Amino acid sequence: MKHKALIVGRIAALLGILQMLCGCWDRTEINDMALVTAAAIDKDERDGIELSLQVFMPRALGSNSGGSQGGGGQKLTLVRSSRGQNIADAVSKIQTKLPRKVFWGHCKVFVLGEEFARKGVREEMDFLARHPQPRERAYMFVSKGKAIETLNLLPPLERYSADMMRKLSELKIGLKVTMKDFIIMLGGDSKAAALPMLDILPPEEGEQPSQGVPYIAGTAVFKEDKLIGDITLQTTRGVLWLTKKMEKATITVRPKDAKSGFITINPNHHVIHQTPRIVNGKWQVLLSIQTSGDLVQNGTNWDPMNLDLLHAMEAAVQDSIKDKIELALDEVQKTMKADILGFAEDFHRSYPRQWGRVKNRWDEVYPTIQVKTDIHVNIRRPGLSTVPVAIPEDEVKKK
Amino acid sequence: MRNLHRLLGQSKKPYFRSVQQPSRAATTSPLSNDQQTNVETLRKIYSNSVDVVFRSFLIGGKTQATLIYIEGLSDTEEINTNLLRPLMEEFEEGLSLRQLFEKKVNISKIDALSTYEDCVEALSVGKPVLFHEGDSSGYALGLNRWDKRAIEEPEAEAGIRGPREGFTETISVSTAQLRRIIKSPALKIEPVKIGSYTQTQVLISYVEGIVDKNILEEVRTRLSRIEIDGVLESSYVEEMIEDNPFSPFPQVKTTERPDTACNAILEGRVAILTEGTPFVLIVPTTLFSLLQSQEDYYQRFLISTLIRWLRYTFVTLSMLLPSLYVAILTFHLEMVPTSLLITMSASRESVPFPALVEALLMEVTFEVLREAGVRLPKQVGAAVSIVGALVIGQAAVQAGIVSAPMVIVVAITGIASFMVPRYNIGIAFRILRFPVMFLAGALGLLGIMLGLIAILIHLCNLRSFGIPYLSPIAPFRSADLKDVAMRAPWWMMNTRPHQTEEEFNQYRQAPAQKPGPDRNK
Repeated sequence: MKHKALIVGRIAALLGILQMLCGCWDRTEINDMALVTAAAIDKDERDGIELSLQVFMPRALGSNSGGSQGGGGQKLTLVRSSRGQNIADAVSKIQTKLPRKVFWGHCKVFVLGEEFARKGVREEMDFLARHPQPRERAYMFVSKGKAIETLNLLPPLERYSADMMRKLSELKIGLKVTMKDFIIMLGGDSKAAALPMLDILPPEEGEQPSQGVPYIAGTAVFKEDKLIGDITLQTTRGVLWLTKKMEKATITVRPKDAKSGFITINPNHHVIHQTPRIVNGKWQVLLSIQTSGDLVQNGTNWDPMNLDLLHAMEAAVQDSIKDKIELALDEVQKTMKADILGFAEDFHRSYPRQWGRVKNRWDEVYPTIQVKTDIHVNIRRPGLSTVPVAIPEDEVKKK
Repeated sequence: MRNLHRLLGQSKKPYFRSVQQPSRAATTSPLSNDQQTNVETLRKIYSNSVDVVFRSFLIGGKTQATLIYIEGLSDTEEINTNLLRPLMEEFEEGLSLRQLFEKKVNISKIDALSTYEDCVEALSVGKPVLFHEGDSSGYALGLNRWDKRAIEEPEAEAGIRGPREGFTETISVSTAQLRRIIKSPALKIEPVKIGSYTQTQVLISYVEGIVDKNILEEVRTRLSRIEIDGVLESSYVEEMIEDNPFSPFPQVKTTERPDTACNAILEGRVAILTEGTPFVLIVPTTLFSLLQSQEDYYQRFLISTLIRWLRYTFVTLSMLLPSLYVAILTFHLEMVPTSLLITMSASRESVPFPALVEALLMEVTFEVLREAGVRLPKQVGAAVSIVGALVIGQAAVQAGIVSAPMVIVVAITGIASFMVPRYNIGIAFRILRFPVMFLAGALGLLGIMLGLIAILIHLCNLRSFGIPYLSPIAPFRSADLKDVAMRAPWWMMNTRPHQTEEEFNQYRQAPAQKPGPDRNK
């Protein structure tokens, strides 16, 4: 018994001494942290960069109100920026302007300025990948113009602009690229990468300049680690089909034989196979898309209950998808010659030996790759109404 | 009885010597032949005691006799009508006293006494003792009766469904309650006397044929080891028979419900009843049996299973929630979802203390309020709870001393610790909350893990009368999970929980009793 009491006493003493060890007090209270919600990297006039941090201001939310009044253009964040040779340098300079310790753990948005991106991003990505705090799942963007402007915005619907950008990315209208994806793309066989491109919707008349809203305007295309150009949102749709990332789509087409009106379908289930092939020395990619979805609007006088007409509608949608894919190929593959479609990885996997031979001249091979598409669209559900509505029954085309 | 010879002036040994002596051979002092000497000796033993009544009278107007009893412990009315009146009447010659008792005295229980120890023992339980001339023995008359509390619903173990009666302080009532439930003569109730001054009656109760003999023997040994001057509550006994007295975890289950006690007895456990308290000890016990409520068996098994899981979750929470809050908010900010962290950081903005201090402050305040609420007179209780709710809730937050999330954490912790049906196990987890909180404040989640590992190692080591405390989880017994991981319906509870490696009476009922309309076909 005496022995046990001794052990208990020793453990208690140990715990007490533990409290005095300096290593144990490396805790940081949340009150001493500057929560970075977004970071923007721009090129400065000289050789370095300009880093801007959007930092959350807890005081603005108010401790008594319980956070019920957030949003509504009220400023919850402040933006601090500083110049430096690289991010690490700039952060240390920003720290002199902030009384609290910079905390990257909740930074979910990184915006790269257009000019900075053109100069090359690799050096600065190294900081983000090496530092333990920034999240690998943070979303990356390129902004048209200066990146800091996106941080200064006060979007009316969200609490701060970083939140808005994050949600935009999660909606998957354009590309959704995390820091990890971006780093892998840059280091991959393709030596090309794509990031969503942000633009700022100018505020309406009479509103503050900060009332502008960031939106996804397209896709920024990187070759090596440099921005070489951007493609529109329409073209991005084609890229999404080609990279198997398409999730939600709204496709509006006019069927060829229809007298007037458009039909719109929402494909929501896709099976996409991308098969690289080498036939007679010719490099091909076979893209097979099987997609099915709902008919959400029918402006024609066609009755979708008729199978022939339904197939005609489906054919029209197939053509539309094919057009978008071709548009994307035309811009990305033929013009920009940036392999953001990931063909290099595919050929590397399927034809490692052949790929090894062209590895060094991939830039020449890539634009010559033929993409063959095989698209099947199924309109599965016509919605609540079978026949076209609001037209006399005798005008409905049933055959 | 050991101090009696001291009172009799026969021993010069100081009291503590006798306590230290392992030998417990009772010294017996036989009664003398002379009635007068006996009475005088007893007068000496009970000197300076106004409540001891010595009544001299003549039996049949001739034989000198003395009746001794303690006021309030014996039924004076009965003494008057059934003892004194018939004895004091004149009667025919030639009757011996034995015949006299047989013919005249209508008292059901009369024991002959031959030693002073027996006399004192009889008197102390309220039995009047009668001496008369010409007889060397005294007679203890079964006329003991004292005021006792009525059987009431146990307040600390209330339930929705199930019997409403609880044990009382009177041990004979308690044994009767057990006997009323388990009518089989296999229910055994063995007496032990503990407490050299209080002479408290302690009863070992079990069902022969179900109880594990080793455990029963261990209970007997441990009880007989106790040498203490008084037992005022069963906790005195509990602390003297525990396996690990330094553990924060109780190794004995206490209950004041006869149905809980009987349930345990039927599972092969041993109940220890103590005179003067309604709380009955149940050994051996396990962590999971402490987390069970008797009402689990009375409600439908699905809801009971659900509630058991809820209970396990919240017991863990009651120990860990403040620590998790402290650890995450001081070391692992990245683990909190951003929007939640933003709200929390806003509410913590004006709080002047570190999270650890804030948590300690609130937890200590809560413990103080809880303790005050238990001790305060009922009339003041309501006022305290109102003030307490205001102080640790609204006002503290508005004053900016603590943050609103912390109040929520404390509230959930407080409620969670009352989810446990047994007060003593709930308190164990509440104590452990504080060291874990310090560990969390010093080392974050790593500290919490260290604390949990230490607690787990301790729990794995702990035994209650030789039964591993974590059984049936460690050592694992899948058959016993039916009453731990869930509450199986009664038609599936075919086997009793396993106690020791010895052979045991395994089956409590016939198998395959699942009811249903097709059962008799």
